Amino acid sequence: MKVLASHNDERLQIQAAQQDPAHFAELYENNFARVYAYVAHRVRDREEAQDLTADVFHQALAGLPRFEWRGLPFAAWLLGIAANVVSDRWQRFVKQVEVEADRLEPAIEDQVERRTMLYQLVDRLPPDQRRVIILRFVDQKSLGEIATELGRSEGAIKQLQLRALQNLRERLRSNHG
Amino acid sequence: MASISLADQLEDAIERMIAGPDSRPRKVDGNIGELLEIARELLLVPDPEFRASLQTELLRQRDAVPLLARIEIRSRASKKEPTRAAAGVDDILPTLFGAGCGSYPVRRGNFAVSVAIHAMLIASLATAGLWTRKAQPLAAHSFLVTDVSPYLLPQSMSASRGGGGGGDREKIAESGGRLPDFAREQITPPTIIVRREQPKLPEEPTVVGPPALPGLHTSQIGNPLSAILEPPSNGPGFAGGLGSGTGGGVGSGGGPGVGPGYGGGMGGGVYRVGGGVSAPRAIYDPDPEYSDEARKAKCQGTVLLWLIVGPDGKPRDIRVQQSLGMGLDERAVEAVRKWKFEPAMKDGRPVAVQVNVEISFRLF
Repeated sequence: MKVLASHNDERLQIQAAQQDPAHFAELYENNFARVYAYVAHRVRDREEAQDLTADVFHQALAGLPRFEWRGLPFAAWLLGIAANVVSDRWQRFVKQVEVEADRLEPAIEDQVERRTMLYQLVDRLPPDQRRVIILRFVDQKSLGEIATELGRSEGAIKQLQLRALQNLRERLRSNHG
Repeated sequence: MASISLADQLEDAIERMIAGPDSRPRKVDGNIGELLEIARELLLVPDPEFRASLQTELLRQRDAVPLLARIEIRSRASKKEPTRAAAGVDDILPTLFGAGCGSYPVRRGNFAVSVAIHAMLIASLATAGLWTRKAQPLAAHSFLVTDVSPYLLPQSMSASRGGGGGGDREKIAESGGRLPDFAREQITPPTIIVRREQPKLPEEPTVVGPPALPGLHTSQIGNPLSAILEPPSNGPGFAGGLGSGTGGGVGSGGGPGVGPGYGGGMGGGVYRVGGGVSAPRAIYDPDPEYSDEARKAKCQGTVLLWLIVGPDGKPRDIRVQQSLGMGLDERAVEAVRKWKFEPAMKDGRPVAVQVNVEISFRLF
């Protein structure tokens, strides 16, 4: 699990990025999953979430020279922009709250945190498992199509899918525990 | 063998979930259920290509091509063009210089972007005369006019409030009485104790505000909110006028108007958006939670809240205008109370305004 940069490190990263936007890449890497998880939680659609996440980071980069360090994590500033971007996409001051009827929804912060962790963990899966997860859930290909593309049997892909999900479950548990 | 069976069951459940994400499996054991829950969350996992290309485009943004970058990212994300295939000769679009220039291969994306840039530049030049900023109508349905001024000003759809005040450094508060007449310009500030009996240019005392504003029709000029009738006093403020403020008006504000605030007109109330008052902007707006009671009763609908956004950007005086019940009103108020706004601005200063917030609760 990637450990978040300490406040001091983050402050230095922000200062560096304010002087040279090329250093924004580090801030982007550290915060992408959290911003995306928040936006995805709000809009529940990958295409729209990606579109809005791009808006958030473009606005953040453009506004970085005006950013003032006040001791809060940089992610808090980004999530403020994200909330605004999502609100602007919908009608301002109109809030949609949607939940599944038969489930109890845990706190939003917990959900965003869990998704942030999950998206980061996907990046840390063994390459063949990660490939199967991306093809199956991002591209939504069938096991047969994935098997053809990767030159493996359908049974092998099925096993890779199972192991990837078990892997993610174990790592989520250990990170929560 | 058991493992193969587990993989089959899982694949079967995932297949059904992808076919219809809203349809929950009827009966799965706990093991599969947990994995399926993760699989459900993975349906929104970001495309790694998007992540990488966004990073690249952000780095390009510092080279001042943000709009172009966004167009490229979005088209890539939405079309999901496979990037694995190497760019062969057949993929190269024709250019003015043939199949490529020098040792650099021509890429389809670059060609399209180049055409887009040129088209945008030509269109921009052709329509340059039309680039005049037009005043955008404000979302009137989101804002209502309310005046809570102690001076009971009638509601107005076009004018914002100001304020004023004055005084003469006296030890007691200003005397009660009627407000002076309103005028567009003030020549003589109101006064109760007249220091100069015979001015060279006698002029009726006035305060600055729209002349149509009604006053109280009593004989004695004073502050209508003051309970003091005797002895006569101009109030503890200074620079002329009546009250505890400064600047020739009446009340506690500054300037030639009436009441808290400054600059003329009547003050002390909540502003409305428009007439030089900008709209507040929500910068932190956490979602309300659904109440268990409403979820069980499958209750959904809209809660309409009325609130004031203070100069500090914090919401206050939140009231439910349209109720939904089942605990959802309380959840909506509880969430909006945590909201933070960029306050409305007037003349470069933050001011309080009234807004409506609509919270829509939906079950799916």
